[in-house]
Amino acid sequence: MKTGFILGTLVLVALIFLYEWPRINRTQKKEKIVFIALLSLGTILAIVLILNPDLPGPTQMIDYIYKPLGRMLGK
Amino acid sequence: MIEKGKISATQMGIMMYLTIIATAILLVPAITARQAKQDMWLSPFWASFIGFLTVYIAVQLHQLYPQKNLIEYSEDILGKFLGKAVGLIFLFFYLHVSGIIIREYGEFIVGSFLLHTPLVFVMGTIILVCSFAVRCGLEVIGRLAEMIVPVVIIMILILLILLIPDMEVANMFPIMEKGMMPSLKGAVIPQGWFTEFFLIAFLLPYVADRNKAKKWGMISVVAVMLTLSFVNIAVLFVLGELTAGFIYPAMSAVRYISIAGFLEHIEAIVAALWVAGVFLKIAVFYYALVLGTAQWLNLSDYRPIIFPVGFLLLLFSIWSASNLMELTHFLGSSSPFYRISIQMGIPLILLFIAKWRKRASNSNQGKYQG
Repeated sequence: MKTGFILGTLVLVALIFLYEWPRINRTQKKEKIVFIALLSLGTILAIVLILNPDLPGPTQMIDYIYKPLGRMLGK
Repeated sequence: MIEKGKISATQMGIMMYLTIIATAILLVPAITARQAKQDMWLSPFWASFIGFLTVYIAVQLHQLYPQKNLIEYSEDILGKFLGKAVGLIFLFFYLHVSGIIIREYGEFIVGSFLLHTPLVFVMGTIILVCSFAVRCGLEVIGRLAEMIVPVVIIMILILLILLIPDMEVANMFPIMEKGMMPSLKGAVIPQGWFTEFFLIAFLLPYVADRNKAKKWGMISVVAVMLTLSFVNIAVLFVLGELTAGFIYPAMSAVRYISIAGFLEHIEAIVAALWVAGVFLKIAVFYYALVLGTAQWLNLSDYRPIIFPVGFLLLLFSIWSASNLMELTHFLGSSSPFYRISIQMGIPLILLFIAKWRKRASNSNQGKYQG
């Protein structure tokens, strides 16, 4: 099951890459670096999330910071 | 400047109207009702003050730095390092909030219509569609808004009219049984939605008729306030005290519509409205996020990063909550403070510093001249 999801993610990433890469101008070096960086960040995050779905996320972090205020609203 | 398109002030107002109400009409009545009970129709009025304030702050900042948007002028105001830090906070905020919006959409569609479709697929398709809209630029999103909003308003009015036979005005009484506090407490949650008006900080530099921008921003706030109050009143009249128990009260209220035995199951229209509205909402957030990221990294074009950011959005929407209960709990407890502090708190501080800097530099110039 998990290998399937990982394969699916890789296919999706490959499709994004194949679609977008030829469209970036050869002169836009910085864009290429950012594109690759963001895409690999996404891939790594996706694989981590597939292997460990209960990873505490951004919502938990924000909830932790704002909890004292949130308690004001009760419950 | 990365974005070359121009929108009119009217388009900006219309765009923001739909952006705010798209998720607000569906989720907010229940969360408001939990705090405000039968006074829930009052809450949007209190909440709108923060909407006016947010528009005012965004317009004031825009007047100080007419050609720039938030990511660019925060650097001018706070200096290179702190400015970049504020920009990063905003980018993370928009990534997270867009993820939550997409999750709300996915849960709604999977929970009420496409029961057997995987959540990831539903969310992935809306992101794909939105990424095409974002790719076309701001002008296209503006024109889309002009096309969708009249339909949405007419549909909301028709639904409200069709609900009249099921309404029970007595549900509203006693008005302010426990004083103002419950309605004020209930206003905290819509406030979170009203602060989303700060998105105009990303749109203002591309508005062609700038002197009208403030007027249309304010009109948009009033329109959102009226829509939310009317929806809250209608839901309250139909469902009464039960409102807080539903996840999507507006949807459940519409299920009551049954005219002469053949005009039934109109909730499909609500769903259609909602898909259209959320499509625009996600597109606007997505646009702000992609444009902001490109400016933060000093790129010359934002189009190459649309799909990678969309992929991240999909991941954040999955990551942001493990189920719908957790999501609505977050929306009802910490999220309003989160949204208010970032979309109103930080800009307010920026505005004060910017004003103070302007004044300091002006008085310095005065000294040299004198």
